[in-house]
Amino acid sequence: MNRRTFNLTILGLLFLGFLNPFSNKAINSITAFAASKSFKSIPNLSPSRTRPIVIAIVPKSLDNPVFVDAKETAELAAGKQNIILEWVAPFKVDPDAQVKVIEGLIRRKVDGIAISCSDPEKIRSVIAKAAAAGIKVATIDADCPNSKRIFYCGTDNYKAGRACGEAMVRIITQKGLQNKELRTAILTGGIKAHNLNERIRGFKEAVAGRISLKYEALLACDDDTSTGAKVVESYIKKHPETDVFYFTGGWAFFGPPESMPLYQEWCNNGGIAVSMDTFYPVLQAAKKGFAKALVGQDFKKMGEFTVNYLVCAIKGLPIPGEYIDTGLELADQSNFDRLLSEKKPWEMK
Amino acid sequence: MNLAKLFRLPFHGGIKLESIRSKFILSFSLLSIIPMILLALFSYQAYLGILERNVQAYSSEVIDRIDRSLEIYLSDLERILDQRGDYYNVQFIKLSLAGDIEGNRKFTFRLWENLNSIKRLKTDLRDISIITLDGVAVGCYGVSHIDLSRNELFQTLVNRTSGEGKMAIWGPHPDWLGGSVFSVGKAIRGDYDNFLGIMSIDVDVELLERICRNVRLGKTGYVMLVDDNGQIIYHPKAEFVGKSLGFLMGQPLFNVWKEDFITKFGPGNQVITAKTLTAANWKIIGLANKLELAAEMQKVARISLALIFGTFAALTLAAVFLASLLTKPLKELQQSMRRASEDLNTNIAIKTNDEIGRLGQSFNQMLARIRELMEQSVQEQKKLRRTEMKALQEQIKPHFIYNTLDLIIGLLETNKNEDVIKMVEALGAFFRISLSHGQEFITIREEIEHVKNYLYIQRFRHGDKYDYTFEVDETILEKKTLKLVLQPLVENAIYHGVRELENSSGLITVKAFPDRDGICFEVIDNGLGIAPEKVDDINRCLGRANAGESEKLYFGLQNVNERIMLAFGKEYGLTVESILGRGTKVIVYLPFIA
Repeated sequence: MNRRTFNLTILGLLFLGFLNPFSNKAINSITAFAASKSFKSIPNLSPSRTRPIVIAIVPKSLDNPVFVDAKETAELAAGKQNIILEWVAPFKVDPDAQVKVIEGLIRRKVDGIAISCSDPEKIRSVIAKAAAAGIKVATIDADCPNSKRIFYCGTDNYKAGRACGEAMVRIITQKGLQNKELRTAILTGGIKAHNLNERIRGFKEAVAGRISLKYEALLACDDDTSTGAKVVESYIKKHPETDVFYFTGGWAFFGPPESMPLYQEWCNNGGIAVSMDTFYPVLQAAKKGFAKALVGQDFKKMGEFTVNYLVCAIKGLPIPGEYIDTGLELADQSNFDRLLSEKKPWEMK
Repeated sequence: MNLAKLFRLPFHGGIKLESIRSKFILSFSLLSIIPMILLALFSYQAYLGILERNVQAYSSEVIDRIDRSLEIYLSDLERILDQRGDYYNVQFIKLSLAGDIEGNRKFTFRLWENLNSIKRLKTDLRDISIITLDGVAVGCYGVSHIDLSRNELFQTLVNRTSGEGKMAIWGPHPDWLGGSVFSVGKAIRGDYDNFLGIMSIDVDVELLERICRNVRLGKTGYVMLVDDNGQIIYHPKAEFVGKSLGFLMGQPLFNVWKEDFITKFGPGNQVITAKTLTAANWKIIGLANKLELAAEMQKVARISLALIFGTFAALTLAAVFLASLLTKPLKELQQSMRRASEDLNTNIAIKTNDEIGRLGQSFNQMLARIRELMEQSVQEQKKLRRTEMKALQEQIKPHFIYNTLDLIIGLLETNKNEDVIKMVEALGAFFRISLSHGQEFITIREEIEHVKNYLYIQRFRHGDKYDYTFEVDETILEKKTLKLVLQPLVENAIYHGVRELENSSGLITVKAFPDRDGICFEVIDNGLGIAPEKVDDINRCLGRANAGESEKLYFGLQNVNERIMLAFGKEYGLTVESILGRGTKVIVYLPFIA
């Protein structure tokens, strides 16, 4: 049984057999199930505890709307579990500020922390500090390998990258360009973000030997949506000869498509782009031709699973393991409309 | 001790202040330094008073400036807090309280953006948050939950009535990010004036330090802030923050400082000034050290002393220079005078036209006059010697000697040895007194003796044709007189007066007596007398210093008169009185000679 099957089994048990998830009955079932599979067991919470459990999720930044779905499902899950959920982060991506926020949480003695790591190198030590303080720490969305975190909940970014690569191979092959060396640019969020680097690695390994991509630029936008659009526009202006664009996240497409006229023109002239994320605005942009294929993450699951498994960890219940995969969502012209109809616009402005 | 006496006092090392130069330097220096010292003392006292007032005024001004800065800052914060009733804030609270998570995501995201935009406007803001009644706080760092019972700001505002719109302040406390902040906030009320929550701003206490730390009240003076409970909320030394002001300074003084803008002298010589920051009801307290004030004054005093000594030294140097400038001509004059004392032909070189130059001119004139007088004296001496020589020549005229010797031979031939002896003795005495070993002055006794010898010889020669008599005041016999004064007059009386008288009735009388401040000789004869015109001519000739041609006419009288005038001055000399046919009187007036 792989981890994904395990997760689905757990959720099935919760929703099919027990109306009140994380009731004693449900927890006991999960515990028994986890024990039978020899899953990771966490030391139990102190029986004298009276105050509610406090879990804090620390995204990379507050200004990135990709976490909105995760926040929403995390809050819902927290409500159901009768725990307190905090959603704290620096407003913009800033690894140092993120460390300070985590340190603040350690000082406040929260029970659990889930972190989307801006810079694993900087976060690793503060995770250790939190763990030393008895706080259960997990990572969400962006992992911090080789740290003291209990588990990572999010997309298998390498797989996501590979999925993007597969989509790119398919598109290039369909166009009959598999033998042509294609000038390629990549837009990522933070250069040091582990999850994004994994996506790049998966992408490159997927296309290697099957199509010929010449990587000419690795652009970074620090997870900032407006910066993402600006960086792409600027690059296309300077390098209109670019053939392929790979986006490790959909930041550039969160804004109105009209803000990227050069890129739009590049797409219309045969430019090929594949992007991560299947958020509503990204789907809208892809439908307009800004990307031929998308590979989405399930942020809703991220929020929900993270809260639930952190509670398990805090209560000493077993969790599926160190890696909790939230799965991928593939999108192309064939299902853009359907996905758009299923998703909610962000409407945050 | 007067200045003149002081000047005579020996200096250290034996130098006496007797030169004009030293006196000038000392006077100049004293006159310069005394007013300077008085001025310095007066200035010091005046400056001390002014400085104290200025320190108090400066402290008040500094505190006022801090008060204004904080007031402005707090009023800015109040304006930010006035946005608490904005639609998004209220909606967030309402949906949060209602548990509408999906509905609130749009407002949550909007609030993050808004609050962070405000935060970026002021660097000292650490967080701005909206806190709901159930403890949910949405702020610059996301959504968190807080323990409202431990949030003083919330507790203050929740217990206020809706009419109390004043901003609440929570003094310095740690925030959850590990910083130290003070918080201000206002209540957020709903449509029915119901309390929904608060808007809170956390301000980094660095702000207080930033406003206060650069304020200097002397070297160690400082400003501190105290809240309305007497807790120190800012102090340059962090260890005092949170301590009671009463603990730091003593309770009695703390009670006094509750008044605004009072200045007291506290422990440790501190000048204390306080003011209330109305918006927060905090006290701004400035402490300056009075000892530093004194130290400043010592610095001023040292500078003043240095200035005084420096000026004194400069003035002394200037005095030395000026003294040298002024006394150099005097020294040159002194040296010239010294040379002139050795050589009267020296003249002073006149370099200036000032008093010293004019003194030199006068000195040169004096030298010229001395040379002139000396020349005159030399000439007179020569003339005196010449007249004396002539007088002597008159004494040893060959005719007189021949006749006298012839008379002596005649007496020898007639064996009148006694007479011969007397005659020879008289002649010898006559010549001996005439020569007098070259002395110019002899006693009146000798002069009378000389005339007696002469008359004895002449009367013997002339065969007793006349007689003579002497009336001499004996009190003047030892007085000195110019020699050979009477003999020429007696000779004139013989040859021009009594020798030609019939019947041997001629009489020559010689008188000597003190008269006025001198001595008077009178040679009187009862001879032929002189015509009045001639008497006048003789007296006129005698009245002139230089007789010229008349010298030859009245040689004997002129010779005597001239010698007297050369020896004693023009106010002395001869006067002739005569009545024709009755006789002549020649009066000699001489000064007393010691």
